[in-house]
Amino acid sequence: MTDATVTMDFHPLPASGKAKPWAFPAPERGALANGLTVLRCHRPGQQVVAVEICLDTPLDAEPEGLDGIETIMVNALSQGTGQRSAEEFAAELERCGATLDAGADYMGARLSLEVPLSRLPRALGLLTEALHEPAFADSEVERLVRNRLDGIPIELANPGRRAAKQLSQELFPASARMSRPRRGTEETVARIDAAGVRAFYAAHVRPGTATAVVVGDLAGIDLDEVLDGTLGGWTGDSAGPLPVPPVTGDDTGRVVIVDRPGAVQTQLLIGRLGPDRHDRGWPALVLGTYCLGGTLTSRLDRVLREEKGYTYGVRAFEQVLRSPAPDEGTGASVLAISGSVDTASTGPALADLWTVLRTLAVAGLTDAERDLAVQNLVGVAPLQFETAASVAGTLADQVEQHLPDDYQAQLYARLAETGTAEAAAAVVAAFPENRLVTILVGDAAQIKAPVEALGVGEVKVVGG
Amino acid sequence: MGNTATEHPASGSLTATEHRLDNGLRLVLSEDHLTPVAAVCLWYDVGSRQEVKGRTGLAHLFEHLMFQGSAQVTGNGHFELIQGAGGSLNGTTSFERTNYFETMPAHQLELALWLEADRMGSLLAALDEESMANQRDVVKNERRQRYDNVPYGTAFERMVALAYPVGHPYHHIPIGSMADLDAATLADARAFFRANYAPNNAVLAIVGDIDPDQTLAWVEKYFGSIPSYEGKLPPRDGTLPDIIGQELREEIHEEVPARALMAAYRMPHDGTRECDAAEVALTVLGDGMASRLYNRLVRRDRTAIGAGFGLLRLAGAPSLGWLDVKASGGAEIPQIETAVDEELARLGAEPPAAEEMERAQALLEREWLERLGTVAGRAGELCRFAVLFGDPQLAFTAVHRILDITAEEVRAVAAARLRPDNRAVLVYEPVPPHDPAGDPASGTDEDEQEGAGQ
Repeated sequence: MTDATVTMDFHPLPASGKAKPWAFPAPERGALANGLTVLRCHRPGQQVVAVEICLDTPLDAEPEGLDGIETIMVNALSQGTGQRSAEEFAAELERCGATLDAGADYMGARLSLEVPLSRLPRALGLLTEALHEPAFADSEVERLVRNRLDGIPIELANPGRRAAKQLSQELFPASARMSRPRRGTEETVARIDAAGVRAFYAAHVRPGTATAVVVGDLAGIDLDEVLDGTLGGWTGDSAGPLPVPPVTGDDTGRVVIVDRPGAVQTQLLIGRLGPDRHDRGWPALVLGTYCLGGTLTSRLDRVLREEKGYTYGVRAFEQVLRSPAPDEGTGASVLAISGSVDTASTGPALADLWTVLRTLAVAGLTDAERDLAVQNLVGVAPLQFETAASVAGTLADQVEQHLPDDYQAQLYARLAETGTAEAAAAVVAAFPENRLVTILVGDAAQIKAPVEALGVGEVKVVGG
Repeated sequence: MGNTATEHPASGSLTATEHRLDNGLRLVLSEDHLTPVAAVCLWYDVGSRQEVKGRTGLAHLFEHLMFQGSAQVTGNGHFELIQGAGGSLNGTTSFERTNYFETMPAHQLELALWLEADRMGSLLAALDEESMANQRDVVKNERRQRYDNVPYGTAFERMVALAYPVGHPYHHIPIGSMADLDAATLADARAFFRANYAPNNAVLAIVGDIDPDQTLAWVEKYFGSIPSYEGKLPPRDGTLPDIIGQELREEIHEEVPARALMAAYRMPHDGTRECDAAEVALTVLGDGMASRLYNRLVRRDRTAIGAGFGLLRLAGAPSLGWLDVKASGGAEIPQIETAVDEELARLGAEPPAAEEMERAQALLEREWLERLGTVAGRAGELCRFAVLFGDPQLAFTAVHRILDITAEEVRAVAAARLRPDNRAVLVYEPVPPHDPAGDPASGTDEDEQEGAGQ
């Protein structure tokens, strides 16, 4: 360090300027004559408009033995309509410069459209066609089914995906839809055909139970007129929301190794059940979880990455799986820690991870950690919500999770008033050292013995 | 072409001013007061192409060391200060760049400048063996996580190694090899810093809700006293013939979930009109759900799960057109390859239809709208054009150049470049899960570099 000749002029750390006000945008809520709920939000300068269509159809609606049919159905919506073939539809949409993604999750299905402002009417016209008059041609559904069957082994080869599948299977009873993959298994997908898809669509897709979220620079267009001429033409009968069964889970502390002989790393996913965002303790949970594993200066990475070099990064997070309106049942989330560590370091890394959890349980968080977390979580909001797509995504999450439209805006106020002790109690309760289900995707021959020695629960090995 | 999404596509009202400090630091400022945020991008003209034999991965490892403290910043202070101010931050390393960026609430901009200046001017005051050893382990785990422990994870590395000959500065990818990461020393890191991390080898772009005069004064204050360095070695020459001249081919027998056909085509250099034509050509062929290859392989032949064709733009060596097709069910590679060759030849023989040009250019235009639609994206593009082509303003006109490409230019570049004698082909044939007999018996290739991965 003797040769580190520094010749620059140093200045003291600058103080911050005066913060400018920023608030999470409040959407304007309305409805079209056909019953479609519309949330709109003007974001000046955002030339790429984001449209989210939320279909209030949880995966529990899928018929017995046909897991994956909702995913196939929402993807088949854009594979040909009454007016054009699948190829023509895709080409016309892309001539608008648009992208359209579709997916189904435990809480509902979503279509996400992004398109430059000037081509919004054209793209919304196509989206309306897809929703209102999908062709569901036999051969297109067959193609999607086969494509999905091809995709499953590719997904499961990814250690992170494989770990997630195992955790759901461990946490939830086999009868619960949540215990099984969102997009189905090879066995269930193989049974899906066009007739089934048509029946599922007829039973569940209608404007009355759907919401459209439109975000972008809307100042120069008459959105009402555009919507009336497009999504307003989507018709359907009415139906109430589907009841969903309560969620139960088994978080008895245990370890499952998904054997991958020769793997150079162990993928770890450590989780259990938690509440949804309606829970009063949610802000404290978010804050505490950030302090545990939100960034590389959080508790976990400070040791596992920045001190020991065992990993490129380990994160703690919450993922909401069910979120009914408060008077219609209780919600659920998975609270988890995930990352990957080199095979040889698996035992020591897990030992350190548990030490971090135990230390947290005994000594709690410091005020400095809490302050840093609040400053980051609240401070990054204007950055995080710069694009129309990010605002639309969060508004759609709120719709899907039956949260009020000002939920995100209020969350920042709640975070700012959450104290250190509250945050610590929430994260300690979320990750109790003896009630965590640990999934390890890695080389069982090398990691089983060191993991058994940790004493964090029974160790079981399953095929890769 | 007339099919633009806006009257002034993608860049209508955007402007930028340029400045240069006495020590050679170039500065680009661009105002945008729509949201109270400001992006800082500091782009050093150094990447993995500057690395020498036996030291691959050094530029990227060094990028990690830039987050380990400097004279006035201890430990992970850089991360803590930025995140504590409500900012986000990161760095990236590629063949021909290393960039560092912070996006800040506008009132915290000065902090980001202070931090960037501190490490540019005084990193060596803090760099030690401990952080070097730690970040070496972190980067090795990054390599395992992103390349070695995922199916097809080393495909890009193999393809680049085939497409750029041994000894060429782009022959290896930025992550580097495990052996070279192990071999890198603190002395290497120090020398790398001295040679490349000087103000006259960087461009600083600041974009967003800023006061240009105040911002310029801060940049002068914090960066102005950092001495320039004139001893940087120019990168090794990356010149190659336009055409490889023969098909290069490697067959991998590995535990992957599906057969795959990948190929790297040698394409025109970034910054040329031909490169823009190539991007349109690859979009016609392999971007989106209505491209020629998607329609042919996925929709009609049903031999593929997915088919994509992307362009890695490079300025100091030929760009790379990367084809990626995963086979469906029992489909065989020769069947897919014949179909791909037919589609490429067809584009070389006849210009694409007007509707296909409209589709490709609309998709590329939206990508530019998105890229320039955030302050961070804009800062990155301003830096890229300033460093590689000497003019940041080119960022605002990039989309015009794409929209100006004609169908005949697309045909011409396809005919010139998308030929079997101008590609490196990588074929994956799956072996049964961990079948010890499978590995040696299948051995048509002698590539041993992945020994640690199997």
